[in-house]
Amino acid sequence: MRVLKPSILKLPLALLVILIVHTSARSQSSHENAAASCAGCHAAQSQEQPHTPMGMGLQLPAADPLFTAHPVLKIQKGPYTYTVETKGSSSIYSVTDGTRTISLPIHWSFGKGAQTWVLDMNGELYESMMSYYPSIDGLQVTTGDEVLDPKTLEEAVGRKLRKTEPADCFGCHSTNGVAEGNLHLQTMEPGVTCEHCHTGSVAHMIAGLQGQGYETAPPNLAKLTSEDMSNFCGRCHRTWATVVRGGTRGPIDVRFQPYRLANSKCFDGADPRISCVACHDPHKSLATSQSYYDTKCLACHALKNSAPPKDAPSDAKACPVATSNCASCHMPEVKLPNGLMTFHDHEIRVVKPGSSYPN
Amino acid sequence: MNLNFCHKVAATFLFWLKSIRFFNWAAPAIFVLAVLHGATGQVVAHDPTDLMTQAAAAREQNDLPEAITLYSQVVERTPNSPDAWWFLGSLQYATGAYVPARDALSHYVELTPKAGPALALRGLCEFETGQFPEALQDIQRGISMGAANQPRNEQILRYHEALLLTRLGNYDQALKAYGYFAKNGIRNPDLMVAIGLAGLHTPLLPRDVASDQKDMLSAAGEAAFAFLSGDETSAAQRFEDFFHRFPQATYAHFLYGYLLFATDPNGALAQFKQELTVSPSNVDAGVMTAWALLVQNRPADALPYAQMAVAKEPGNPAAQLVAGRSLLETGDVNDGIEHLEELLKMDPKNLDAHIALAGAYSKSGRKDDAHRERMLSLQLSNESAETVNP
Repeated sequence: MRVLKPSILKLPLALLVILIVHTSARSQSSHENAAASCAGCHAAQSQEQPHTPMGMGLQLPAADPLFTAHPVLKIQKGPYTYTVETKGSSSIYSVTDGTRTISLPIHWSFGKGAQTWVLDMNGELYESMMSYYPSIDGLQVTTGDEVLDPKTLEEAVGRKLRKTEPADCFGCHSTNGVAEGNLHLQTMEPGVTCEHCHTGSVAHMIAGLQGQGYETAPPNLAKLTSEDMSNFCGRCHRTWATVVRGGTRGPIDVRFQPYRLANSKCFDGADPRISCVACHDPHKSLATSQSYYDTKCLACHALKNSAPPKDAPSDAKACPVATSNCASCHMPEVKLPNGLMTFHDHEIRVVKPGSSYPN
Repeated sequence: MNLNFCHKVAATFLFWLKSIRFFNWAAPAIFVLAVLHGATGQVVAHDPTDLMTQAAAAREQNDLPEAITLYSQVVERTPNSPDAWWFLGSLQYATGAYVPARDALSHYVELTPKAGPALALRGLCEFETGQFPEALQDIQRGISMGAANQPRNEQILRYHEALLLTRLGNYDQALKAYGYFAKNGIRNPDLMVAIGLAGLHTPLLPRDVASDQKDMLSAAGEAAFAFLSGDETSAAQRFEDFFHRFPQATYAHFLYGYLLFATDPNGALAQFKQELTVSPSNVDAGVMTAWALLVQNRPADALPYAQMAVAKEPGNPAAQLVAGRSLLETGDVNDGIEHLEELLKMDPKNLDAHIALAGAYSKSGRKDDAHRERMLSLQLSNESAETVNP
């Protein structure tokens, strides 16, 4: 039963919450604060999320553990030498051709494992030409920028972002940084916070403290169909439609899981067993146990010589080869063309020996 | 057939096109003498017949009626002579006899199917005879076969291509074609009127424009030209001036919104909405407003615009698309599917419709239909990429 607080208490309480939220904004730990505020009611979802790759999708250099662990990162690429050097809380990205050097402070680190930096050069934003990759524990050319052939030192810094790209980058890797398609760095909070997916959660929290939480709850994302969930997650991980229109084909598109998944013959947009969140809890770190994922496959598929699960799709066959480690064969690992990152292919299929990468 | 002749035809064509001055794109026949002169004597050494020799001599002496008569006699006796057909057709074109020129070039094309320059020249004949769809097809095929392999030729052919696209109501393709001139800094007053016609969705040729409309069309063309040249600041100023001078001009806000769409979606949306205040029943503006809102994931906002558009013009594929998508994305899956299937009846290879239908079938549990649509979409998308980058 809902308890209504005396109205005289409402204003100071609301102001207090606003103050908490406002003062926490723009700090590295703002999303942890926001999550902590949500944790009052949603502890299971809020505790781990700030430390997940999405929660740390954008980091401020002072709090970026990569720079603490690697005070100097260096690589020579053609005539250019790249250095990322950290002193105290300041990290500087430099490129030199031996004659001239351009040095730019790193303001934003995109990614938790592999990292790319968005740089401000003369008021324009650039994607750093070099990124950090855990697989080599060092710098290498940013994925997708291999085709660039910088002719000047300025070009060697990185790829100048097109007009609408900064909003895309910050829109996915941070929270409250984009409004009506425009970038607003003043209000940007690093990483994916509760508010990023659950739009209206801050207002809901304030209302909840006033006893009006039920009326203001953000839409329940768990109720989305698998198709809608795929599109929802695809806003950042790329929807099937976006990739089809964009024309990206080949192993480079293995990064776009909603696209790959939707190409699967077993993908049914109305069946929750194939939804993104059926396998991945976005509030938790990625599960890595094969047996965990096996249970997801067995929600539709029978084990060999066993009865099918309840409501199994008629075309969900039992695997004639194995009874475990489904993903290792049916969602094989695929390396990006640069060999620096590996993803499980979400286009679930029977992979025949020698068959090429589809779609 | 003499293979060298192919090269000679191309050379003649190129020379002929080169001779057309920029300001006379629409009246190439003026340059007949240059055409004739450019082909001097080249065939004589290769054709032993008296008639061919006499025809070439007449051509050299700029005696066009005699040359045409003689080449006509040659083709009567040896109808498989591509050389004679080519000279007959090009001379007839040069004298303004566009219908026989077209027919002669058709004979030549039959004998030499991959002759890009001849196709392009036939397209220019058809332009003059008012066979606009055929003219466009021939000019585009000619371009794809190398007829626009020099800047001057490219200017002439692209200009006519853009004029034809406008005349046939394919305004966005026309504006893209005019982008060639903006990027290369090629400009003149006629071109500005022509761009204005495409921008303001007026299916006319510049020569058919009433004199009291030229000022407005030229101003719109100048603004669009500035934008297409990459000078967005100047374009903004020119559009502002235009809106001030011609507040009731239809499609002007639409044009600016269309140009802004890729780089400033919010600005574009504002312009589309502004167009609807000037012209509330503008279906294209309704469609683009809905589309811009759909791109911003605002299907509920898009729906009324889409419904207005499709109610006014159910035969408009774009209106069916935005209506289908708006309904689908606001949860009305079945009605959305109806619109999208209706669209596919009109345009079976519409990629956007297949993409949207894949999602719609998927949401409604039609797994196999969804998979089929997905694979079809991929196929269409790949084909389209191959067309762009063969």
